[in-house]
Amino acid sequence: MASPIRVLTAVPICDGHDSAINTINLEFIRHGVEVVYLGYHRYAEDIVRAAIQEDVRAVGISSYNGGHVEFFAEVVKQLRKRGADDIAVFGGGGGTITHDDQRVMQKRGVDKIFFAGTSLTDMVGFVHERYGKAHKHNGRNGAPADMKLARKLTAIEDGYADGTKKQRNSKAAIRSQRSKIRNTKVIGFTGPGGAGKTTLIDELVLRLLQRDAKSRIAILSHDPSVVGAGALLGDRATMINSQHDRVFMRSMATRGQAGGLSPATADCLQLLAQSGFDYVIIETVGTGQEAMPFQSKLVDQTVLVMNPDYGARLQLQKIVMLDLADIIVVNKSDQDRARTAMSEIGRRVEQNGREQRVLATVAKRHRDGGVDQLCDLLTPLVRPMAKTSKKGQPK
Amino acid sequence: MSKLGSVVEAVDKYNKFVEDEVRRARTDKKFGQQMVNRWNEIKAKIPFGSAPTGLKLPRLALPEIDEAGDITRYLLGDGLPGEFPFLNGAYREMYLEPLQNPAIEIGAYEKNGHNGKSQNNGSKNGAKNSAKAQQAEEPTRLFSGLMLAEDTNERFHFLGAHQRSKRLSTAFDGPTLYGIDSDAPGILGKIGEGGVAVDTVEDMVRLYDGFDLGSPDFSASMTISGPAPIIMAMYIAAAKRRFGNDIVPKLRGTIQADIFKEVQAQNETIFPVEASLRFLTDMMEFTTREMPRWYPVSISGYHIGEAGSTPVQQAAYTLSNGFAYAEMMAARGIPVDEFGPRLSFFLDCGLDVEYIALTRVSRRIWAIGMRDAFGAGHKAQMFKVHTQTSGRSLVAAEFKNNLTRTAAELMLSYMNGTNSCHSNSADEPFTTPSEEWIRLAAHGQAILLDESGIFKHTMNMLSGSPGMKAVERAVEAAILEEFRQIEELGGVVAAIEHRYQRSQIQNAAHRYEQQIYDGTRPIIALNKYRNANEEPPEMELARTPKAKKQLQVDRLKQFKKKNAAKAEKVLEKLAAVAESDKNCFPTLLEAAEVCSLGQISACLQEVVGRFRPMV
Ligand code: B12
Repeated sequence: MASPIRVLTAVPICDGHDSAINTINLEFIRHGVEVVYLGYHRYAEDIVRAAIQEDVRAVGISSYNGGHVEFFAEVVKQLRKRGADDIAVFGGGGGTITHDDQRVMQKRGVDKIFFAGTSLTDMVGFVHERYGKAHKHNGRNGAPADMKLARKLTAIEDGYADGTKKQRNSKAAIRSQRSKIRNTKVIGFTGPGGAGKTTLIDELVLRLLQRDAKSRIAILSHDPSVVGAGALLGDRATMINSQHDRVFMRSMATRGQAGGLSPATADCLQLLAQSGFDYVIIETVGTGQEAMPFQSKLVDQTVLVMNPDYGARLQLQKIVMLDLADIIVVNKSDQDRARTAMSEIGRRVEQNGREQRVLATVAKRHRDGGVDQLCDLLTPLVRPMAKTSKKGQPK
Repeated sequence: MSKLGSVVEAVDKYNKFVEDEVRRARTDKKFGQQMVNRWNEIKAKIPFGSAPTGLKLPRLALPEIDEAGDITRYLLGDGLPGEFPFLNGAYREMYLEPLQNPAIEIGAYEKNGHNGKSQNNGSKNGAKNSAKAQQAEEPTRLFSGLMLAEDTNERFHFLGAHQRSKRLSTAFDGPTLYGIDSDAPGILGKIGEGGVAVDTVEDMVRLYDGFDLGSPDFSASMTISGPAPIIMAMYIAAAKRRFGNDIVPKLRGTIQADIFKEVQAQNETIFPVEASLRFLTDMMEFTTREMPRWYPVSISGYHIGEAGSTPVQQAAYTLSNGFAYAEMMAARGIPVDEFGPRLSFFLDCGLDVEYIALTRVSRRIWAIGMRDAFGAGHKAQMFKVHTQTSGRSLVAAEFKNNLTRTAAELMLSYMNGTNSCHSNSADEPFTTPSEEWIRLAAHGQAILLDESGIFKHTMNMLSGSPGMKAVERAVEAAILEEFRQIEELGGVVAAIEHRYQRSQIQNAAHRYEQQIYDGTRPIIALNKYRNANEEPPEMELARTPKAKKQLQVDRLKQFKKKNAAKAEKVLEKLAAVAESDKNCFPTLLEAAEVCSLGQISACLQEVVGRFRPMV
């Protein structure tokens, strides 16, 4: 089977009209399209960066608050400037985009405008027909590093989708690569849905970026595929701090695999770990009690993020990651139940008899002390002064 | 249990109380007779007026009932207009033409201003029933904003030219709604589009130039929520510049400032929710104390409805948001009878059948909830509401049909007894309205209220009719069911964190669009009676010329340069206050004099962080 079509959708800056795009996203994912949704009120620059990193076939923009001629053209221009001229730009804005506007926009490189009154079926049909084929090239010579990396990741995902690649379990192979990537720290985040993993990671990214003005971070985030094989990959919409030139983010759909990750995850992770980032963060989808997603030895530290209200104490016994995680974070610790949760979890991990840390955070709170603490645990306290050798080689 | 749980209980209890009283009226002879006597007394007092044709009509229509139980159900369950539980209207006479010769004094129909629950806690809203008979002002209030302040000012004067009372309603452009300055990189295309660009107090002065902000006939409404406290401070600063410090307590108007619905539907939150709510309550505390004629929050369902919710979801989320604000204000120690009368509402009115009674039912639930769950008195029980006809129901295909749609929606809005109303222009799908279409939109209201006799002579046109009752009952039950869902998730704020309202709205919106394109929802000229040869219409578009955008940027830069030193100082102070738990609003007032909107919101974001959007 061919890989699902990936598109990115967004609403322009100073515009919160998201009803149309939400409806269209739902329709797309029910018809086999993977939608990376960037959210509303987004700068052209953020859209372009995301489109390249996510290596989507096209960008769909829904604009209502005017200025669409300028905005769409700006997105096209920036894509071209960054060598991604094969990423198409399409969109709509009901009656606010006139036929005259459309003519100007098409001249400036916009692929297609959908006017008021177009049926959802027509839009889905268009996307399948027009964007059904993969990009022609794998990142031209001179294309920015982001784009080359993005296209390699796509190749890995496509390999799994069409069956040319099978999941390996050769830990040895990975271990042999291990020495090459000593400068990269790989951190895995998992936990049940609604625990606030995404927010926590984004707050962490903010701190990592601030603590070291040069550090580069990669994020591999996962969302479940739905029936119909599409997926809504919406983490970027909430991860506002991660939309940054020093952050490379890739959203992946689980594509039918249980356990919180995608069949292609291990290979993608390995590629990222070798690509000269200081940190690679991997986030699973919301997982169940038996899940133990991070088998790969590439993951240096694992963080289990929990909600204080997990139910009765007995439930804790069943959570496998409580045995495996290096750090357990009780997020939303402003809730009434947090104190009890901390002590119950504390007692639960004591049984394991190994060094595990339990932390309380309120990730949604600005400058939360708990997140600072987590950041301390994840950053080596003494960092190598300067990189004396080339990226990817041991120092 | 959150307060919403107590509201559900209160409504259930009240409905049971009504039925118990009905039974009592039927079994207890003496009580039954009392009710019948009261009914006869009320009827006897109803004045008659006459239509231009000479037809004599009672100014209040009552159902033709004479049995004690039925009378009890009507008086207690619905209430007369202006009386608890306000199903029929917040005021007694609403839009009625004044009587030529008022033979009977316009007071309560009943001697003591009956309130429906005299046995239990009648003292709360009893004798001093001060319900105004009529709306003092015309209910027409048209939302407008375009290009720069002076352009919108011109539009305001154009619209107000023929009105006794000047009721302005301000639409801001995208950058302003998001607290961003016009000179910020990356937004040039958006200045003055879809609303007016306001960066500084100087823009605010220009915006309302020529209007007497302190006059009792003037009121300004400002549709902005994310940066509302900052814009409010700028409005006050502008008023002081023009009229001196004494103007403040005289200022009259509304600022939307509804953060809950922003997070649920309109997407213009700029600070994290908790911080937004804090700035909002800071402002509300100030206006409640210092500006007795100001409505500091307009609890809005319009945006929820337009984002695609069902009518029931709209009413349920709006009311529950309202109760959540009431809970917050009460938690600050402000008495319910102080803040309650300063809360106002804003609803959508579309063409779905629920709209026949949506506002009526909302008024009833609010009144019962406020009285019985919050202990509010008469004025704080009243649900005062602005209605806007549905923009989303207006389509581009053969757009002139939109005139008919809006007319039908206006009719529904006034049948529901709205206190003020905006009618959309037929060019709604394309652009901020041009003068041609906005004039017709305004005329639509005048045709209904002034020209037609429908609303002039008799209150209660459809009250108590079997169809109306059926819709009311079904809608009320559905709203209470939604309340229970929210309560089960832990109340409004917890439900928001669960994305409950957002996901419900999104699913409803998707279904709505699907229904259009599978034909189960007929939209004339779009999926039914479509004209295959229709050409795209030639519309007059309100787009801001480049030169104007540049002018706005230049003015702002000049303002910033002129005030640089002062701005730095006051921003430092503002950051410190925001860092503490003191009320920020007084410092915002200082900042508004010398800082731009973008400078202030950036300063606050530095302290409290940015809003993290929800999908
Ligand atoms: C719903 C709505 C709102 C809701 C939005 C809720 C939400 N969360 O989305 C609310 C009430 C909050 C709102 C607020 C405002 N709105 Co408004 N709003 C509308 C309205 C009524 C409908 C838009 C809509 O969603 N339609 C439903 C969609 C599904 O259908 P459609 O628009 O016809 O689009 C079709 C195609 O174009 C296509 N399509 C659309 N986008 C995309 C994208 C892709 C990728 C694809 C493939 C296809 C596609 O799909 C649709 C199906 O056929 C329009 C007027 C109208 N009738 O169109 C005004 C309108 C867009 N709003 C307008 C304005 C000005 C505002 C405000 C700025 C007002 C103010 N000053 O406060 C605010 C700003 C809000 C914000 N946060 O930015 C103006 C814009 C004017 C202009 N550009 O000149 C309009 C045109 C109304 C008007 N005439 O004044 N609004």
